[in-house]
Amino acid sequence: MSADASDLSLVRRVQRGDKGAFDALVLKYQHKLVKLVMRYVRNPAEAEDIAQEAFIKAYRALPQFRGDSAFYTWLYRIAINTAKNAVVSRDRSPIEYNVDRSSTDNDESYDMQGRMKDSETPEGLVLTDEIRSTVNAAIDALPEDLRTAIVLRELEGLSYEEIAAAMGCPVGTVRSRIFRAREAIDRRLREVFEGGLGRTEELG
Amino acid sequence: MNEELDSQLSAMFDNELPAAECELLARRLSRDADLKARWGRYAVVGAVIRAERGVALDGTMAGRVSAALSTEPALSLDPAQASRRGSGLSWWQPLAGAGLAAGVAVVSILWLRSQALPGSSHVAVPVLVATRTATFASPSAQGPLQTASATITPDSFVVPPVQQRPMMVVPATELADYVVAHSAFSWPVSRGNLLSSLMVSEPGTSSTPAESEQPVPRVQGNATQNPK
Repeated sequence: MSADASDLSLVRRVQRGDKGAFDALVLKYQHKLVKLVMRYVRNPAEAEDIAQEAFIKAYRALPQFRGDSAFYTWLYRIAINTAKNAVVSRDRSPIEYNVDRSSTDNDESYDMQGRMKDSETPEGLVLTDEIRSTVNAAIDALPEDLRTAIVLRELEGLSYEEIAAAMGCPVGTVRSRIFRAREAIDRRLREVFEGGLGRTEELG
Repeated sequence: MNEELDSQLSAMFDNELPAAECELLARRLSRDADLKARWGRYAVVGAVIRAERGVALDGTMAGRVSAALSTEPALSLDPAQASRRGSGLSWWQPLAGAGLAAGVAVVSILWLRSQALPGSSHVAVPVLVATRTATFASPSAQGPLQTASATITPDSFVVPPVQQRPMMVVPATELADYVVAHSAFSWPVSRGNLLSSLMVSEPGTSSTPAESEQPVPRVQGNATQNPK
């Protein structure tokens, strides 16, 4: 199984003229891209603009994407270059934030909160404390095996095979646990947002 | 919603779905708004777990990107082209392969020529001469080739080997065959032209009219004896 098969199948569809497939790629990587860009700019809204610009550049450059590297690696390069250009053009110094996964979440959250106080963040644009507490409560309510599986996947970035080895269960079981954990968290989030979360009906 | 489908979607989101299933699901994902919304929420769940606070939750960025791209023409890379790109092939690679093959062929030809020319000038051609001579001189001889070769002198009109000019042996022989054969069927005036005269007047050859009017015998490929 190719590590990039999912992204590549979507990329191929975009290359053949299916713009709807590109929506899926944007939905999947928008958060990671904004997080990446926020290493270079202060304002989350500005980071969103840069990430958006990076996505548009990526779309235009997709005919040249050959699949030699993973799609997200290629996309990250575009985003970093876009962010650097934005910083240079606006005569700002890049800010290095410690957002490495190895760092503690509390430190990162503290830094981000402090930064948001100084910026003009559009209401409802960013993850609020209410949402955070809702998700944390949903995760705490999960059975142990589901919580472990989803945390290893999303926080540590382990593959299903690695999680299976860590948890001593088949890969199929890992896949099922991660899916069930996502569904449980998603149900709570949908309650908070009254069905508005992840609203993409206007796309594609 | 089909739970198995959602489970596949979750695995696809993690790049853990087999490629064949990805192809089918990607097609559905790009068209099904509900599936796309679920896909987006999976991304949000991950962002929440990773404590990515400065992140939009309502999919507005995807909407903005989609709106910005709505005026862009759809990409039109055909499947075969996409497949070639996927396999890493470029336009120059077939040309490079052809160039490499041509280079190898040229080197091989040069090497063979350098190996064959010094020693072959007095080996291959005399065989040709002896064979033609034997066949021509005694067409009814059915005995061993050894006997025929030993009893017949190379009195053919074919140019004998000239060791001083190894490079010209084979071409000169063929040229002589052609010229003499041509002379046999040409006008009498042209039979005595300069080139024919040169060919038949070289030492060790015979140019009797009876012989020169005969058609050129065919080369016998199984003779191996050299004339003495």
